[in-house]
Amino acid sequence: MNEPPKEPVKYVDASVRLPYHYVAGDHRASYLRALKDKKLLGSKCSKTGKVFVPPVICSPESFAPADRLIEVKDRGTVTTFCIVNIPVIGRDLPLPYVAASVALDGADISIFALIQECAPEHVHMGMRVEAVWKPDGERQGDHEDILYFRPTGEPDAPRASYINRL
Amino acid sequence: MTALRNVAIVGFAQLPIVARDEHRMATEMLYPVVRQALADCGVERDDIDYQIAGSTDYMDGRPFGFVAALEVMGSWPPRQDLHLEMDGAFCAYYAWVRMQAGDCDTALVVGHGKTSEGEPNRILNLSLDPYYQAAIGLDPTSTAALQASAYMARTGATDRDLATMAARNRSAGARNPDNQVRQPATTEELLHTPWAVEPLRQGYLPPIGESATCMILAAEGKAEKMCNRPVWIHGTDHRTELQTLGARDLSRSAGATLAAQKAFAMAGLQRAADADVVELTAATPAEELILCEALGIDPKASRPALNPSGGALCGNPVMSSGLIRLGEIFRQLSGRAGERAVAKARCGIAHAAQGHCLQQNLVWVLGTERRWS
Repeated sequence: MNEPPKEPVKYVDASVRLPYHYVAGDHRASYLRALKDKKLLGSKCSKTGKVFVPPVICSPESFAPADRLIEVKDRGTVTTFCIVNIPVIGRDLPLPYVAASVALDGADISIFALIQECAPEHVHMGMRVEAVWKPDGERQGDHEDILYFRPTGEPDAPRASYINRL
Repeated sequence: MTALRNVAIVGFAQLPIVARDEHRMATEMLYPVVRQALADCGVERDDIDYQIAGSTDYMDGRPFGFVAALEVMGSWPPRQDLHLEMDGAFCAYYAWVRMQAGDCDTALVVGHGKTSEGEPNRILNLSLDPYYQAAIGLDPTSTAALQASAYMARTGATDRDLATMAARNRSAGARNPDNQVRQPATTEELLHTPWAVEPLRQGYLPPIGESATCMILAAEGKAEKMCNRPVWIHGTDHRTELQTLGARDLSRSAGATLAAQKAFAMAGLQRAADADVVELTAATPAEELILCEALGIDPKASRPALNPSGGALCGNPVMSSGLIRLGEIFRQLSGRAGERAVAKARCGIAHAAQGHCLQQNLVWVLGTERRWS
C-alpha cells in the first residue's frame, strides 16, 4: 500500500433527501380550506384597506396587520401575461400556453394563473377571465382546485382599473 | 485601544420557545416580534437605517427562504438589508461593524427559522464536508459527543460533572417564562436519563425548538432616546475555526479563547470574574465547561452569574439561540430580567456559537455605561 491505487475514485455520490412538513399557518389554512368551497379569501390591511390574495398577516407596504379575511371574486382581469413555448418540469400542458397575472375582483394584488379555452394570441392585458374549478368532491384545498381561468366574454377592463395591481 | 463608536442594545423581543408552532409560518412568528421590539423602543420602521436577518434556507426548505422575511420586517420603502445563514447574534455583530463604519445609526436584527418543519439532524449533517464526515452520518449530537469525550479525557471530568452542569441550567431555567424546558431537574435525575450518544445523556441536551427574535441596536445620540436604560457594547470579537473536526483540538475551544481575549481587551475587562453575569450558547454541558475554560470562568464561583436564563439547554431555537443570549444580557443590565434578575448587574458577557463542536464563536462584553467618551 505504498503507492496510490492505479484507478482512483473520481466521484463520490451523495444523494441528499430532505423531507419537510410545512405548517400552512392559520391564515393560509383558512384560505386553502375555502378553496374546497370554491371561495377565494384575501386579507385586508387594517390601515390602507388593501386586500392581499393569498392572505398575508401584515401588509408588506404599510406594515400594518392584515388580519381580517374577506372573500374576493373568482373572476378578474389579466394584468400581464407570457406565452410559454418550452416545457416546464411538472406542468404537462400542450405548448404553447399562457401564464398570466390575474387581478381578482376585490383584490389589490394579482395571482398567477393559467389561461385556457382561448388561443394564446388572443390573450391581452385587460381581458376579463373567470376561474374554472375542479368538480365538486374532487377539490382538495390546494391550488390545483382551480384548473385554469378562461375568458368571460365581457368587455375589457379599463387600463386604470388594473394598472396598479399588476 | 482606539476609541470606537458607542453602540447600544435598545430593544429585544422573542417568542417563547416551543417544540412546534402549529399555527404560524416562520414569517408569521417573526412579525409580532418585530412589531414589539419597535414598539418597545417607541419608534416606527422609518427610524431604522439598516436591517439584517439570520436564518437558513436549508431549515426553511426553500431557496431564498429569507426573502419572505422582508415582508414582515418593515422593509418598505426599500432600505439596506443583509441576510446571514447564521444565528441572529452574528447578524448583530455585523450590524455593529456597519455602525462602526458610520453608515447607519440604527439597525434591526432578527433570527427566525422553523426547526420543526424539516429534520435538523439531516440538515446539519450537510454542513460537514461531504467526503469524509457527512458521508459517515455524523449529526450535531454525535459531533458534540466526540467533543465531550475529548474534553473528559483531557480534564478527567466525569459524567456527574456534566449532569451537575446540566442540572444547574435546568434549575435556573425554571424561572424563565420564555424557555421551552421549564421543569427543574436534579443531578441524580439527569444521571439516570438514557444515553443519547455516549457520553452525552438525553437529559444533557436541549430538545428541538423554534422561536423568533428581534433586537434593535442604536448608536450614541439615538440610543438614549429609544431606551430608558440602553445597554452599551464595550467589546466584541468573532472567530471561526476549521471545518475538519480532526484538524483541531476538540477538547478546547481555541476560537472562543481568542474571541474572549480580544473582546475583553476591547472592553477593558481584566477577567470574566469582573463581570456580573454571563450567558453562554452551549448545547451540551461539555460545551459549557469548555467555554468556561476558554473565557476564564470558574463555574463554581458566584461571580459572574452563569446562565441565569437556563442557557441553551432549556431552549435552543435554531438561528435565535445566540441572539437570545445577547438579549438576556440586555434584559439583565436594563432591569428587564424579571425573576431571574442578577442583583445590581452592571457588566455582562454574552457568547454565541454556531457550527459543529463550537466552530464559530462570538463574544460580547456589555455594560450599563458608555465605553468610550
